[in-house]
Amino acid sequence: MSLSSWFVERLALDRFRAKYLGKPFPVHSTFFFGEIALFCFVLLVATGVYLALFYEPSAAAVAVEGGRLPAAYASTLAIDATPFGALLRRIHHWAAHLMIAAVLLHLLRVYFTAAYKRPREVNWVLGLALLGATIAASFAGYLLPYDQFSVTATAIGYGIARSVPWIGPTLADFVFAGQFPSPETVPRFFAYHVILAPLALAALVAAHLVVVLKQKHTEFIGAAARRDAAEGRWIRGIPLWPEQTALMGVLFLVIVAIAAALAAFLPVHPSAFYGPPQPVTPDVKPDWYLLWVYGALRLIPGTLSMRFLGATIGPEAIGAMLVPGILSLIIVLVPWLDRTPASLYYAESPLAGPRRLAFGLAILTLFLALSLAGFGAELGLGVPLLWAITVLAPVAVALGAGALTRRSLEHPPAGGAARP
Amino acid sequence: MDRRRFADWSLKAAIVAAVAAVIPGVLTLRGRSRAAATKGVEPGDRLVFALGQNAGQAITDGSFTQNEAVLAYPEGKSDNHENLVLVCKLDPAAFKPPLDIAGTAQGIVAYSSICTHLGCTVRFSEEPMDQAPFPHIHCPCHGAMFDPQRGGVVLGGPPPRPLPQLPIKLNDKGEVLVAGPFNAPIGVKA
Repeated sequence: MSLSSWFVERLALDRFRAKYLGKPFPVHSTFFFGEIALFCFVLLVATGVYLALFYEPSAAAVAVEGGRLPAAYASTLAIDATPFGALLRRIHHWAAHLMIAAVLLHLLRVYFTAAYKRPREVNWVLGLALLGATIAASFAGYLLPYDQFSVTATAIGYGIARSVPWIGPTLADFVFAGQFPSPETVPRFFAYHVILAPLALAALVAAHLVVVLKQKHTEFIGAAARRDAAEGRWIRGIPLWPEQTALMGVLFLVIVAIAAALAAFLPVHPSAFYGPPQPVTPDVKPDWYLLWVYGALRLIPGTLSMRFLGATIGPEAIGAMLVPGILSLIIVLVPWLDRTPASLYYAESPLAGPRRLAFGLAILTLFLALSLAGFGAELGLGVPLLWAITVLAPVAVALGAGALTRRSLEHPPAGGAARP
Repeated sequence: MDRRRFADWSLKAAIVAAVAAVIPGVLTLRGRSRAAATKGVEPGDRLVFALGQNAGQAITDGSFTQNEAVLAYPEGKSDNHENLVLVCKLDPAAFKPPLDIAGTAQGIVAYSSICTHLGCTVRFSEEPMDQAPFPHIHCPCHGAMFDPQRGGVVLGGPPPRPLPQLPIKLNDKGEVLVAGPFNAPIGVKA
């Protein structure tokens, strides 16, 4: 009796095999973004465990060669000084960027193929929660190296929390463990980043995957799928074992290779270069995925504020809370705003819904325009011009995309299949 | 009371007790108040250099020339970030209200260096620039600009309030002393 059959017999794996290992996976390159995000998360946990073995979550000053430094910063420098430490720290940092990028691309794929429609609203919301949790985890991790750059970024986050109407100062005290910069914030953020964030992300990923398992993927309908449907076979794709598993293994190694190559050649977040925390503020910009909030903060003038139920909603609360809050709410509500009929099995062509395409591209343009506003000073663009771009570009893109798609639906190009 | 009612009430009381027991625990998450551990700016404090090789030494009238500024702390109180002040030396002839001119001396004027927008440390622009008036104080974070000759009023950008001014005076050795409290709350306000 072989070892594998010993396990098969003991654990009754035959039933498991029959039920799950044949699960079909769609073969389309845009369907891999979710998996890539998951592989980045695995890589983050693996490298994060290594970093946590050396990192010291404390802002207390310790004696090092040439003076005294905060313990967290000193331990970060010590990690950088070990043979693989700097590489693994950068892989960790790059994997976080790759994960957010993969989640965003996955989100765009789901949106533009209308895969959020009934009955998949649950996973739309869970997916957005995953995006929020990923960004929150990154923000919490930002403070940990405790260099000049990290402390400045976290101080701005503290200011944003303080500016929330009514509850701002209390909220900021709860999240940052008192007034920032405070010695209590580092252990607090260490716990957020190393315990709470991975637990929350793992739970959300599990829920997201269970729902996919239950509801199945959407799939693109092509000639072959149409033929299969006529023959009564609905679900197309390659089985989980062995084809999809082999693909996933290769994809994971590719992600590790990309993160390692980026880490080897592009030094991300050089803590030794930024130096220990100082009372001065360096020229900082947030990472690319928060540039739009930064742009909004630069665009909202100090004169714009409103009074509402006894609270002053100032320009900082408008730029960092109200604008992102409204945009997030609109995105969460997309499955309920879209009233077009839903298909249970098939993904739609991005061109099949002119309104969906126009709205999606407009929101995307708005994010890009706000990010551009973050570079207004460097590009020599004035605030009025940036305001004009932010307001007009999304409208122009929406009108243009909507009109073009409508035309292509009414006059389908010869030979092409614009409408599934 | 029958057994069913007793079990019912026990359960309800247990839930109330559990919630009540959790509240003080949750409240500890707020973090300890640092007001007791650290001190704010008080009249009579000597301002000392916050940075550089002179850090900790008193700032005097002769420490800087006109259109220069330094970051300072009240002596011995550098552990409270909100105490950080920007001490500027300007042309006193250009001072205009709402600047508290009585709180300046020999063209020296002090402001909280915590930006009223989101709490970054502001900078004094030592060189005239094309797009901005001179002299001005700016914030590297979101492009705030303040006028140090007019009480820190907002010249442009997103800050909702002027920079709080710290009245100062000089003692007979020319050292910069705090003459009174900040004229407004420090930093970000809800």
